[in-house]
Amino acid sequence: MHPIVPWLIGIVVLLPLPLLMPNAYQQYIVNVILINIILAVGLNIVKGFAGQVTVGHIAIAAIGAYSSAVLSTKVGLPFWLALPSAVLIAGAAGAMIGIPSFRLEGAYLALATLGLAESVRIAISATDALGGAIGYQNIPPPFLFGQPLDTHASYYYVVLPLALTAMYFSFSILRSDIGRAFKALREDPLAAAACGVDVRRYKVIAFVVSALYAGCAGSLLAHMSPGFIHPNSYTITEMVTLLLMVVFGGIGHIWGGVIGAILVTIIYDLTRDYYQYQMAMFGGVVVLTVLYMPKGIGGLIDQYLVRRRFNAIRQVKSNAA
Amino acid sequence: MLLETSSLTKSFGGLVAVDRIDLAIRKGEVRGIIGPNGSGKSTLFNLISGVYRADPGGKVVFDGRDITNADPHRIARLGVARTFQLLRIFGGMSALENLLIGHHGLIRYGTASAILGTRRVRAEERRVRQEMMELLSFIGLADFAEMPAAEMSIGQRRLLALGRAIAMRPKLLMLDEPAAGLSPVNVDKLLETVLALKSRYGLTVVIIEHILKVVMETCETITVLDHGEKIAEGPPAAIKEDHRVIEAYLGKEMDDAEVREFLRAS
Repeated sequence: MHPIVPWLIGIVVLLPLPLLMPNAYQQYIVNVILINIILAVGLNIVKGFAGQVTVGHIAIAAIGAYSSAVLSTKVGLPFWLALPSAVLIAGAAGAMIGIPSFRLEGAYLALATLGLAESVRIAISATDALGGAIGYQNIPPPFLFGQPLDTHASYYYVVLPLALTAMYFSFSILRSDIGRAFKALREDPLAAAACGVDVRRYKVIAFVVSALYAGCAGSLLAHMSPGFIHPNSYTITEMVTLLLMVVFGGIGHIWGGVIGAILVTIIYDLTRDYYQYQMAMFGGVVVLTVLYMPKGIGGLIDQYLVRRRFNAIRQVKSNAA
Repeated sequence: MLLETSSLTKSFGGLVAVDRIDLAIRKGEVRGIIGPNGSGKSTLFNLISGVYRADPGGKVVFDGRDITNADPHRIARLGVARTFQLLRIFGGMSALENLLIGHHGLIRYGTASAILGTRRVRAEERRVRQEMMELLSFIGLADFAEMPAAEMSIGQRRLLALGRAIAMRPKLLMLDEPAAGLSPVNVDKLLETVLALKSRYGLTVVIIEHILKVVMETCETITVLDHGEKIAEGPPAAIKEDHRVIEAYLGKEMDDAEVREFLRAS
């Protein structure tokens, strides 16, 4: 069976979801979950697999969102061209954010990328052509056969295939030699180089691929109804939420970004009434997860599966004896 | 000559760790490098494999190519595989994955096809996984293929580090204290494996070792370093009786009677 078949089945199964959720707000949350999956899966590639501690992911999403917005309003590109262009621009930005990783590691790399990320956000708020601190308005929705996809239910059919495609690509990358090279440079860059892995090349690939994801997610957020983006959606706070998704879902786990994005987005929405405590709570959850569940929920599931397989083997052996 | 170094030097500030070393290693040879702690053995490996930059004037030629100060991954891809004293295996990855990373330079598909997950990628993955499983069985670790390397015993980890180097299909295999921390039985097993691998893959081997038995029994030629300098070179029998070598190890001059006593004891 071709590995793409389960994904096609997935698309078919998930197609009627908006019909089961007549409430527009629920449909909106589903779209946000799917977009967050794209963001978190991308972050997991560079951070969870390649081990590069970047805080610049959210700024790449901002670059994707604003590029897409400018291209569709000022240049007049349709969504279907603005999105891929935004993805490519984000990819180039990702390569730039990746350059400090040649020399910096761990917390130092986090600081350097944090600086870059905040400069992007501040530059946007200070640029009137980008709406400055007021935000960028009137970003058009995608049109299909002359019909605007401006409801959350219709936009779902744009987001769903893209999210599943993004997941499919991440699975094939991470299960290939490239995914192994990422892990090797996370575990021990020197040993990886001694095995013939071009460490710089794979760092750049990790940053660029993850930036393509962020750019896609950014563009999707920009064109979603009501077609409004604001620099405040790209602060360090949002980045922490993103990190929480990856850490909670399972850092370096192939499903980590997906599990984390679904759970954190839902929890985030359910606790919206207590927004002043949200960051304290999320920060606490990150600390507790790192301390007691370092591999996140994905790791717990793996552990359970391994134990079950082990017990099954023991069962077979004792039956034989 | 497969590997030649000429006046290879590395100094850290005022300390000259490797001092004008000339080395010539024939294809198919098993060379031992011995010397007391801090004599520059590992630094020499790090210079050859590109981890350190050599001081100006030094030169490394491998298989007819000047590889002085080339990037480590390029040197590796030309056919120089090395192990590390502290192993540096990828603890968070399975044994099989460790070997697959060793095989990285020989996997034939591009980044784009890997992202798309094409049929070719899947076929190639099947092929290399099977090939690496065979290598795992050869080094006796087939039952541990899926085990995270961090959870293996020290003996298994040493074998795995050796396997990862072999997975590169190198021309030259450089082992940095491969037997350290092993029990005598395991030392013998490891040596057997090294020699079996050597004849199976037609390797040239350079071994740094503290356990003299290892080099004396397996190496045709031994190079002795002390304070970064080469103080002796020759077949094991000659090295055993070389006064400078014994002095370097024991730190004092000895007369012939004392030397005989030392040799009898060792």
